[in-house]
Amino acid sequence: MKSTLQISDNQKISSSLFFFVVLATQIGVGIHGFQRVIVKDASNDAWISVILASIFSHIVVYFMFKTLSLSTSDDLYGIHQDLFGKYFGNFLNLLYVLYCSFSFYSVIRNYIEVINTWVFPNLPQWFISITLLLLVIYAFTGGLRVMVGVCFFSFITGLWILIILYMTLKYAHFNHLLPVFGNDLKSILRGAYSMTFTIVGFEIINVLYPFAKEKDKVQKYVHMGLLFTLFIYLSIILVTLVYFSEEQLERTVWATLALFSVVKLPFIERIEIIIICFWMIIILPNLCLFSWAAYRGINRIKNIKATTFIWIFSILIFFANIPILSRIQIDKANNIFAQIAFCIVFIYPFLLYIIAFSKKMLTKKRERRN
Amino acid sequence: MLVLCSILIMGCAESKILERVSLVTLIGYDLEEENKVTTTSVIRQINPEFESKVEVQSATEGTSKGTRIKVDMKTAKKIAAGQLRVVLFGEELAENGLNESIHTLMMNNELSTSVYLAVVRGTSKSILEYKYNEITDLGQHIYNLINHNVKQEQTISSTTHEIARDYYSKDRHFALPILAKNGEFVQIDGMGFFSSGKMVGELPADDMLYIMMMQDNFKNGKLDLGLDGESVDPTKFKDKELQIAVDSIKTIRGIKVVNPDENEFDLTVKMKCRLLEISSEVSTSDVKVLNKIEKSMSKKIESELSRILEYSQEINSDIYGFGEQYRAQVRGSDLTEEKWTEKYQEMKVNINVDVEIIRNGVFE
Repeated sequence: MKSTLQISDNQKISSSLFFFVVLATQIGVGIHGFQRVIVKDASNDAWISVILASIFSHIVVYFMFKTLSLSTSDDLYGIHQDLFGKYFGNFLNLLYVLYCSFSFYSVIRNYIEVINTWVFPNLPQWFISITLLLLVIYAFTGGLRVMVGVCFFSFITGLWILIILYMTLKYAHFNHLLPVFGNDLKSILRGAYSMTFTIVGFEIINVLYPFAKEKDKVQKYVHMGLLFTLFIYLSIILVTLVYFSEEQLERTVWATLALFSVVKLPFIERIEIIIICFWMIIILPNLCLFSWAAYRGINRIKNIKATTFIWIFSILIFFANIPILSRIQIDKANNIFAQIAFCIVFIYPFLLYIIAFSKKMLTKKRERRN
Repeated sequence: MLVLCSILIMGCAESKILERVSLVTLIGYDLEEENKVTTTSVIRQINPEFESKVEVQSATEGTSKGTRIKVDMKTAKKIAAGQLRVVLFGEELAENGLNESIHTLMMNNELSTSVYLAVVRGTSKSILEYKYNEITDLGQHIYNLINHNVKQEQTISSTTHEIARDYYSKDRHFALPILAKNGEFVQIDGMGFFSSGKMVGELPADDMLYIMMMQDNFKNGKLDLGLDGESVDPTKFKDKELQIAVDSIKTIRGIKVVNPDENEFDLTVKMKCRLLEISSEVSTSDVKVLNKIEKSMSKKIESELSRILEYSQEINSDIYGFGEQYRAQVRGSDLTEEKWTEKYQEMKVNINVDVEIIRNGVFE
């Protein structure tokens, strides 16, 4: 246990805030159009897929915490170094850092695409990315507690969107949901797999865990957070299913945003434009925490200052954002990201737990023999 | 910082100052030869003195955006379509199919999906370019005309979203209201039935309520009926029609697949209403008479519903969602469009209307 983190109390965050962290990191850009993909697989049973995906993420979180609690006070990066030695461990850490950066990139890219299509077709991409990156740098230099504060802030200020969502029920055709279980289990499972891009984000607790004040309570709040995202995703998918006909939904690129475009409030006619702009506040914690997770990983490999890191990171992301991608290319990138995320978030934790558990058993046996 | 960045983003967008743009509030599409469309738009301009001026412009081109460029060449201010409220289609275009038009409307992010669609008798150009004495802003006028009738449940709601939903659905068709110029006014004249995006038939506006009764539940409708007088009171109304009017109608519609193999449906309409107008010779305080009226009303509505249903089966336009119900209720139905077309035209529907008069006016 050479690399146990030393975290002073004033750096730690209250464990109840993990509820907001999980919510804020899970809800990002995937939510704009996840319905289309799932409905392609699972048709009108898409909501069952959503529930299945959420159940699966609960199981994953359970194992994540099992792994984390095997070591005394360590994050994923520390566990890697501990289990696999310095070189291979660092290699895995680097992969994880790359995953976080990819996640960061994909959030920012998708958001820019939405802004460009719905609101400002002529606004240059580099401008939007600079604005977002400046915000991220600002929050990042404030430290972890500021970033977690942003999570809380984005959750509280975003709640009103749910009310707008229910206003579209005026056009609902509830028989779209019937017959339940009309599709075979295979297609429902495939739908659950398609949820990956939307549901990932909670893996951030791998890195954040050592910063919790009361470690035994964290798991409870994380599960609660997952339940609340399930509630949000489930409301959205149910409203979408009754609002759109299936064939129409398959042609709608961002179904959630299209939902909002029918709502007319007396003081504002196009509420979806406001919602899209507001979404910046919702993706901000995503960006902050993923860049922070990447920083923690880099910090293990080579000790650099946080400010230096975030500037280099932002400049790299900025340059990565300069080439203009077509919608098809973005979709392709999203698919690749979803596949990688599925391996890293949904499969790897089990593997890691088995390795960590067997290693602990071995060392225990050895100690007993001695 | 957050505020600063938001302001920066807002400031750098393309600005559209109200006085410097003209707002398109209504667009009419007509079919022209060689696959071209004529677009007629009602454009509203706002001066700094808050006087709005309305002008009508039209152009012919292959695509909708193409006509917009042409119209732009004719107007002094930049055109903005975000305030579009109503889209009209000429009769000929509707009969040739609205597939492309609906797709265009859905693709454009500038337009909201709560824009009303309607068909116009003749060409939309003729209705829009006429100078009406009473109407100053035609775009707003037609929007209000449709909107208040939809809110009062007197005409079917035909927002882009609803039309696109039914159009892309493989087991449902849609219907649009038909507008017509009547002297110095524009009025809702009937309803056009569509099948696979093409207008295949129409019914007069009087039938609108029955159609809506089969489509959905009523929350607050109005209806006037000519009952068979003999069934209510043979002595007073022999061979005469008894005209009555009811309002505050609440209906609950139910479609049930009774027998999927034999293609048999049950359509039940439970209706609760208030009696508002009736001949003074009928004593409404008598329970027996009221029961008779209720029964006679049920019969009348049943016959109207079956007439309309038969007509829509004949022209193969399922705007009521029988196919949707079939898919929802029959497991493993595997409904395709062709399959449903076949079934729809042969289906048997048992119509059952149950009327209950809850109250009548303040004077008996």
